Amino acid sequence: MKLIIFAGTPGSGKTSIVKHVIEELKNNYKLFFAKFDCLKTEDDKFIAERYKIPTVKKIAGELCPDHYTALEIPKILKENQDKDIIILETAGLCLRCSPYVEEGLGINVLDVTSGNPSRYGPILTDADVVAISKGDLISQAEREIFRANVLIVNKKATLVEVNGLTGEGSTDIIEAIKSSLEIKTKKLTLRHSMPSAICGYCYGNKIIDEAAVQRKYLAGKELKNLVPNLNCGKCGFKSCNEFIRAVLDGKANKDQCPFIKEKLKIK
Amino acid sequence: MHEAIKKITILPGINKFGEKEKFEKIEIKKGEIVAIVGPTGAGKSQLLYDIEKLAQGDSKSKRIILVNNKRVSKKLRFEPKRKLIASLAQSMNFLTDISVKNFLSLHLKARGKKFDSKLIKEVIKEANEITGEPILPETNLLNLSGGQSRALMISDVANVSISPIILIDEIENAGIDKEKAMQILVEEGKIVLIVTHDPVLAFNTDKRIIVKNGGIVKILKTTLKEKGIGHYFNWIGNYSLEIREKIRKGEEVDEIKLFCEPIK
Repeated sequence: MKLIIFAGTPGSGKTSIVKHVIEELKNNYKLFFAKFDCLKTEDDKFIAERYKIPTVKKIAGELCPDHYTALEIPKILKENQDKDIIILETAGLCLRCSPYVEEGLGINVLDVTSGNPSRYGPILTDADVVAISKGDLISQAEREIFRANVLIVNKKATLVEVNGLTGEGSTDIIEAIKSSLEIKTKKLTLRHSMPSAICGYCYGNKIIDEAAVQRKYLAGKELKNLVPNLNCGKCGFKSCNEFIRAVLDGKANKDQCPFIKEKLKIK
Repeated sequence: MHEAIKKITILPGINKFGEKEKFEKIEIKKGEIVAIVGPTGAGKSQLLYDIEKLAQGDSKSKRIILVNNKRVSKKLRFEPKRKLIASLAQSMNFLTDISVKNFLSLHLKARGKKFDSKLIKEVIKEANEITGEPILPETNLLNLSGGQSRALMISDVANVSISPIILIDEIENAGIDKEKAMQILVEEGKIVLIVTHDPVLAFNTDKRIIVKNGGIVKILKTTLKEKGIGHYFNWIGNYSLEIREKIRKGEEVDEIKLFCEPIK
């Protein structure tokens, strides 16, 4: 099994490229497509209908979409052991992160009109393939300058110029996918750590004030020690952190978590 | 460094219906211009794509592109730092807020070359031979007119870009002297392939490749007569440019030239 992760800022052309790649691969490989997004997407349905492959939609909601992706990857892999290639498209909000894994192939779709590549973090610097999109909008000279700038921050990447409308360049991406390695280990490793997310704001604080943040953080931490951190979903929320926020916001009761209920009973 | 490209050869592949293309081979030598013509969706872009990727029977069309009579290694095809082929697409917009002079030096740097004021002057000089409105080294890139942008880009590709093969896809050609533009590209020893139905460009070539249903169906050698017709159209175009400049300058025009100068 191969795991292919497409990351890139919104509107960079990830989905268009993914469609061309699926079109080319679907007849020879058993594919699975997972689409991550923050609030809403219909791409999973569209791709399932057009290319007749199984897909899933993953909405991060209150969680950081990249953290959420990392949380969900093991589940996706477990449920799709029979597949040859799993294509995962991230929500692509953050330049700081990238949920690329050591064992899979990381593809960054990078919009050529999006400014100097030096402002991008791991999403670009850790990618195996950098698919430069929208090159047809600018001059040849600027494209060449852009390529050179990408190579300054990521020397090892394979650069491909892609066009989401015509599918130009997807052959090179497919080439990279075919020659990428199969996943052999059970546990995957992130190429880059996620940003630390351990303040009161992460637990839903809205008042911009040191004391308020601190209070919310401590209240959250207390619950964090009680929950199992398994994201089992038995409380009705898709992750423990969301459940904690709901409790702090008064929208849920701690008892909803069977583990907390058990612990409270023992006491 | 790899050896210099003297010639590329297109070996037949298949059309949309899976039928073999009916030609033995098409050779294009250094300094030659070849037009690619055919209706929308006929496979013009696929042919450009095959050449751009130096296809080795692995693209949709199954064509094979030889360089100097030889198959091309994977290493050369996918080497990220070197591009054998420069492509001028329809749009030639600029995004960078910078003077023409500084932009060219930035491009030189991206190409791994040193700052070269003589070369920069040459690029601007040749661009000004293609466009009616002169470009100054200090002009901001964002303030260039459509014709100036196109002229600068063509001169840049000819002089700064090291790619020996140039693919031009339906270039917007308002405001430039097309014959001069092609001449500049060819003088620098490039192989030029151009998708166009413009009579000036299509006839200012050595041959035309005709594409239909995803396959190459015919190769026409450009006749002397066609070259003359192209030249005539170019003369009309340049005459129109000349009048345009007069209008721009607020001059009156009270005479019309009726006769084209003969081919030199």
